[in-house]
Amino acid sequence: MLLNMLLGRRFGRLPVLLLAAALGLAACARAGATPPGEKPLAAPASPTSKPSTAASAAQDDADSEDSANLSASARRIYDIGRPRLLQVRTLLRDQDSQASVGSGSLVGSDGLILTNYHVVSQVALEPQRYRLNFQTVDGVTGALQLVAFDVVHDLALVRMAKPPATVASRGIFEFRPQSAALAQGERIFSLGNPLDVGFVVVEGTYNGLVERSFLPQILFSGSLNPGMSGGPVLDDRGRIVGVNVATRRDGQQISFLVPAEFAQALIARSANAKPITGSVEAEMARQLLAHQQALTTRFIALPWRETKHAHYSVPVPQEDFMRCWGSSNPSESKGLSFERSDCQMDTAIFINESLRTGDLAVRHEVYDGSKLGALRFAQEAGMSFRNEGMGRRTHDLSAPKCQEDFVESAGLPMRTVMCLRAYRHLPGLYDVAVLSQSVDAKTEGVQGRFDARGVSFQNAMLLASHYLQGFAWKRSP
Amino acid sequence: METLALIETLDRDGQPRQVLRVSQWPVRIGRAIDCDLVLDDPHVAPHHATLAWRDDGLHVEPAATVNGVRLGRAAIAPGSTPLLPPSSQMTLGATTLRVRLAGEVLAPEQRLLDLQQYERRHAVTLMALILFAAVWKGFELWLSTMPGTQGSVLAWSYLSAPAGLVVWCALWAIGSMIFQRRFAFWTHLYVALTWLLVAVVSEAAAGQIAFALSMPSIEKLGRVVFVLAIAMMLWRHVGLLMPSRRRAFAVAIASAVAVGGGLLLIDRSMQQQPLIGDLYLGTISLPGVRQVKPVSADAFVKSAAPLEKTLSTWAKPDDGDDDDDEPEGGDDE
Repeated sequence: MLLNMLLGRRFGRLPVLLLAAALGLAACARAGATPPGEKPLAAPASPTSKPSTAASAAQDDADSEDSANLSASARRIYDIGRPRLLQVRTLLRDQDSQASVGSGSLVGSDGLILTNYHVVSQVALEPQRYRLNFQTVDGVTGALQLVAFDVVHDLALVRMAKPPATVASRGIFEFRPQSAALAQGERIFSLGNPLDVGFVVVEGTYNGLVERSFLPQILFSGSLNPGMSGGPVLDDRGRIVGVNVATRRDGQQISFLVPAEFAQALIARSANAKPITGSVEAEMARQLLAHQQALTTRFIALPWRETKHAHYSVPVPQEDFMRCWGSSNPSESKGLSFERSDCQMDTAIFINESLRTGDLAVRHEVYDGSKLGALRFAQEAGMSFRNEGMGRRTHDLSAPKCQEDFVESAGLPMRTVMCLRAYRHLPGLYDVAVLSQSVDAKTEGVQGRFDARGVSFQNAMLLASHYLQGFAWKRSP
Repeated sequence: METLALIETLDRDGQPRQVLRVSQWPVRIGRAIDCDLVLDDPHVAPHHATLAWRDDGLHVEPAATVNGVRLGRAAIAPGSTPLLPPSSQMTLGATTLRVRLAGEVLAPEQRLLDLQQYERRHAVTLMALILFAAVWKGFELWLSTMPGTQGSVLAWSYLSAPAGLVVWCALWAIGSMIFQRRFAFWTHLYVALTWLLVAVVSEAAAGQIAFALSMPSIEKLGRVVFVLAIAMMLWRHVGLLMPSRRRAFAVAIASAVAVGGGLLLIDRSMQQQPLIGDLYLGTISLPGVRQVKPVSADAFVKSAAPLEKTLSTWAKPDDGDDDDDEPEGGDDE
């Protein structure tokens, strides 16, 4: 933690912005990204708006033909989308004030709607405080019922409580067949109601799946904004290829979609299910337990990467589904010299505004205290060890409870602390943090920390053991 | 003439202001000048009370007055004429009198708490303490600074502690001045240094021992010793101000520690925090200090199995309290 402070960078998750618009989020997005009313939220200007010159008149003919096609397909998307896109609103139970808004697509003629889990999370978790409502683009409104959810892929199905007679006439969105895979660079269209200002079609590009992501997500280069969550993304024939879910706050037009196959699987599984009336916690825990099992199995199967340090082998994960960043302090520093590596997963599963889970992080710091001497080095190392945060009791998690001892792995003695916190509403799930610092040398050392969120107790133990066994002492070459 | 008794009029500090030698009974007390003991107190009647000798001893006979007579703390009921116990104090209006009879058994002579002598006797120890504290503070500062830190920064940080200590002891010395008429600076410095050193040294030592033996509870014990040493220091300071009230102060400080500590423990247990100290042992020491053998990763993980049970009780979503607005920080001292 010491080194975090020195770098001024906190060990945190990547700044992914989910796209359900609550008041705060919308304000934040406005302040951060686009000055209100200045930048159009739509896709890049289409060729029709290109100023044409006499010199390129010949080319203009070809262009205008293309642009006519493109414009026609955009028009078609608009026509397909308009009756079938809905705004999904979370309202306070006893008032008409909206707590957050997202989008949804009509996928069943009985009024079945596909959206994101995070759009309906407040209703799912606190039905006594919130309720769901829809509004079509042409202004029809009504109540919604939660039918099913896939918390891992951030999807949910809701159904109109009393479908209006006209609902069948609206038609439903079709899915693009999985056999017809999209090619990278293909034009796709995202639909939604950004920031609660109106129905919008955003044109963008399909770029395949996000690299090194444990949970598959489509990388969409197009501007998604809060409020578009849960809206469909269509190919040029108006078939669903994905669902809007998130965008990167620190980038531009870097947006993420849930691939359509997960939505199809959820619909196949639950299209005829009855509305959920009781608590969703048991089902949510079941889904998360399945996810953590897959994650743990895959993680433990990967060997640790070779580290270059002269005396220590440190567990650094393969970058199959994690991303590592390294740093060090200037070499002329008179105090403790260090190098660090910080690996974490891009995807975390949204549970509620204050709880993300289902991911792993591994980091370490290698210290050289030869300029400090043994006593001061021990002091600094202790400070670094002590400063690690393990969290405290919250609404979602219990306080941490720790186990500590000297642990040896392949000839390297370490002071090790393992702290676990239990999920208070999701039985069987735990967060685990393992903190370990070598205690073999007077003026050098390594401190590592492993974090897993939302794992079973047994897997927490497996992962902790796997992590600790990644440390080793190396004989100097 | 033979002196039968002394009647002393006491001031607010309990010192005699006026002494009457009694050679015959009865003695009339009041504001009127025909009294044997004339009191200048507007809350006393012209003829307030009479002290009379009967067969079984000295009795007080209050007259009918507004404010009456109190014997010790108890008011004398109208009409009664109680027997005065030896060396008793009585209050007439706002005036306190002490009556000493000839032939009373006196308390043994008390040793004088001669602060000057005390300071002289402890001068060498005090010097040693100051030296030790200076070295300790220097070592602490050296430990926590990086090589090449600017000298003036070091000097400021080094001198802040003694400056604070001087102010602390000077304030207590002013207290001594008020209650004991002595500016007992060195005595207070002696007390403060002794117990502060006990506190910090035992805390540091506990951390090292805890690391050496891998027993975090020893570190927690160090925290307890720290708090007790500070309480002890406070008790010694006030004891120097009012030596006669030492027992009362001991009770007061002990109850403050008990109540404060108890509340803290309850609060921490509600928050599911460790009752004393940090979540885990934060001390890392030199490699040679470690005395116990490390365990294997698997054995370590196995030893953590009981956590599951504790956490399952902690996880219970109880009483609907949403305590996510907990303020940051939270050292236990």
